Amino acid sequence: MAESGSGAADKSVQVKLVLLGEAAVGKSSIVLRFVSNEFQANKEPTIGAAFLTQKCRLEDRVLRYEIWDTAGQERFHSLAPMYYRNAQAAVVVYDVTKASSLEKAKSWVKELQRQANPNIVIALAGNKVDLVQPSPSASGSGSAVESEDEADDATATPGENAAAAEQPESLRQVPRDEAEAYAKEAGLLFFETSAKTGEGVVEIFTEIAKKIPIEHILASSRGTGRPGAAGRSGGAQEGGVNLEENAAKGKDACNC
Amino acid sequence: MSTTPRSRTPSRVGTPVPGGSPSRLVLAPPLRPTHSLTNLRVYSKSSSSGASSSSHSTSPSTTPIAISAVNTPPPGNAEGILVTEAEAEPDVEESEAIGIGRVASPAGDEDSKKNLRDHLRQTLSYRQSTADMASRPPKKKSKTLNLNELPHELVDSFTPRQYFVLTEADSTDSDDSASAYALMQALISIFLDDNNDKLRCINAGATRITFLLRPPLYYVCISDWGEPEGVTRNHLEYLHLQILSVVTASHLRKMFERRRNSDLGRLLGGAENILNSLLHRLEWDLALSTSSLHCLKLDTGLRARLADALVPSSKAKDVLYVILVANGQVVTLVRPKKHSIHPADLHILVNTIYAPSILTSPAAVSWLPICLPKFNPNGFVNAYVNFLVRGRGDEDEPGQNTASSAEEASSPTAREGPAPAQSAPGKEEESGGRGKDIDIGLVCISGGPDFETVRTWCDSVIKKMGSDGALDALITAVRTGATVYSVSELGIPGLRHFVYKSRSHVQITAPVFEDPYDVKREQQRCVHASHYSLLPCLTAAAAAGRLITLYQTLHDAIHARSGQAGSLKLQYIKTQKESVMGWITQPFELYVALSSRLPKSAVVGAANAVARWVKKEEGRLFLTNAPVF
Repeated sequence: MAESGSGAADKSVQVKLVLLGEAAVGKSSIVLRFVSNEFQANKEPTIGAAFLTQKCRLEDRVLRYEIWDTAGQERFHSLAPMYYRNAQAAVVVYDVTKASSLEKAKSWVKELQRQANPNIVIALAGNKVDLVQPSPSASGSGSAVESEDEADDATATPGENAAAAEQPESLRQVPRDEAEAYAKEAGLLFFETSAKTGEGVVEIFTEIAKKIPIEHILASSRGTGRPGAAGRSGGAQEGGVNLEENAAKGKDACNC
Repeated sequence: MSTTPRSRTPSRVGTPVPGGSPSRLVLAPPLRPTHSLTNLRVYSKSSSSGASSSSHSTSPSTTPIAISAVNTPPPGNAEGILVTEAEAEPDVEESEAIGIGRVASPAGDEDSKKNLRDHLRQTLSYRQSTADMASRPPKKKSKTLNLNELPHELVDSFTPRQYFVLTEADSTDSDDSASAYALMQALISIFLDDNNDKLRCINAGATRITFLLRPPLYYVCISDWGEPEGVTRNHLEYLHLQILSVVTASHLRKMFERRRNSDLGRLLGGAENILNSLLHRLEWDLALSTSSLHCLKLDTGLRARLADALVPSSKAKDVLYVILVANGQVVTLVRPKKHSIHPADLHILVNTIYAPSILTSPAAVSWLPICLPKFNPNGFVNAYVNFLVRGRGDEDEPGQNTASSAEEASSPTAREGPAPAQSAPGKEEESGGRGKDIDIGLVCISGGPDFETVRTWCDSVIKKMGSDGALDALITAVRTGATVYSVSELGIPGLRHFVYKSRSHVQITAPVFEDPYDVKREQQRCVHASHYSLLPCLTAAAAAGRLITLYQTLHDAIHARSGQAGSLKLQYIKTQKESVMGWITQPFELYVALSSRLPKSAVVGAANAVARWVKKEEGRLFLTNAPVF
């Protein structure tokens, strides 16, 4: 508990991270997967915001994520600044089976880029990707077509594809290309995830960890113990994102 | 029996207005009992969320005994259509509703409106005669004891109550429920149109439909439990307060001023489970019925130690209230010198934090805006909620889980790869067995937005409670059952249950429900012995429902909540199953339930004995002196 201010004691770097996105896209489920490696179907909607912590080891560093999992309902929107103020990272979540949720995500990104910490690292996550994939239990291979851009490595046998894959893919409302192109343009990390299967979840936090200007936080937190507050005044790092890092995802996930 | 109008309307649902226009009264689909105990529907235009929901799944069946036993005349207000004026209701601010707005009925149906009005006029005059008949003075059997005996119609079937929240939106849907909504809107508006009358209640056979007008919202409850009108009105009032806790009164007003067709369902999105758990609470929690607090029974010294730890430092200057709860009951609370907290606000708050969204959340801490409507209906405060202990309080928990705030337990230090299902404390530990369910939560209400200050301070509180052993002592007390008591501890022959309200403390105390009212145990028995028929499982729920309804009837009578001519000091009801008595004095209200075989004199003796016992145990039963700051 007494983590506040004692960051130096366990040599961990505190990173304040906020999750934003439309209601029912799976923000809490992503956090639950990351923090407890669990999944709950029919999760109750979050009220206000939930605060969780999780440590994440990256090479020789330990990051301590202080996660604000916010409620997605419109009525909570006006409270969001309270949560993203001083945040070093944000995960903006949408639901790949709901086109309108990407629009909402875009407006969150816009708001963050306008009003949040200028150094904030933003990741865009298209969740529920399991819904647009054929269920692995249908056949042993589980290699049916996932989405257009990965079709080439999905050398599925035609027979099982017809039954298993057609239905799920038709649920997809946000093509991966489209979201990825937007993310690139807006300078965001991009992931498609499934909190249900765990796909892509840890990667979000690993990639964010890599991008966070840790030295900067360390330097500024030495004085105050409130890294975010200091980070804000620090030199404005360009909001741009090195896309190489994104490409390298999964190779050396932080063992969190 | 044949003298009661009830027998003329044998069907329980579908005919809310005797002699009313049948063509418009096709209410059957939405009114038919479902499998849930309570049903809540929030209705407004374009909201497809007719979220009917279940918070409880026992709907007791009818047992034949009661029906044949119903020979007593019904209470004066039990039959016919009643539309009464707003009476003095202590908890209900009727006046604020006047003149704010009126319900829009579906456009272009002046004729049907007029028809309805005419029908209602007819039934109103019809009511005159039945009211005369029904208002015979209740017979007094025992003059020496000077007990008022209230004839009671025994209901043994508690079908789920239905709750509706209506807005001014026109109904455009054409399904069955929409026509029911439209009808309810029409009924409300007719009376407002006529002479700014407010519709309060309709009795149809055994079914009572209660209305509460809180523009821009309108609340309706349909119940056949046989409770007085004041009870369901109180439910609706709480429902309204809980809705305000989510959106605030001023926001609600603004929304509907801007757009009469505002979508309430959307506005309340995500709060459904809070509303549902409130409805569940309203059915069973006597603290809500009696507008009081039911705190955890605890040793005086331990309670004081815990309270001392909660007094905020001068740094936490935005802190308003600090509350420690255990198993849904307040352990202690600390408040500023000049603020007392309204019991209704406390119920709304406790209900909110015990909603599954928060109680079962894996989060270490929740931080949520909440409006405490009696404190300030137009603004939010922020609530820090930290469940220090959650789930089954098995032996190994306390040290690890409480001395450090709960988060540590759920986040093993620097895990190696995604850890194999390390479950958060208490969650998913379904496996039955020993160890009572325990939860202990710290709630800090802050007027300011600064979470970090509150969190830092709350962490220090938790540390303090942990290091001086007070928290462990509390956990032990809860786990060993020292925080509840059995009616047998009082050693009063024939006494089955009671509720004692200290009027000066605005608090109640009551023993746990035991046979034949022990719903939980009976449910467990049924789960374990699934080869038994399901029917016996439901008798305890029925008995508990009956007892609570009896208590509520007594409470209603001694406070004259439902438009009775006057309040009473003593009220006695005897059913086939038990005798109950309500008694109000300057310092307390007392409701006792005894075996029906005992004479009235024994009931009175038992009541006196309970009052003496409570007096003796007062320090442990009530929260008597919590520190202020």
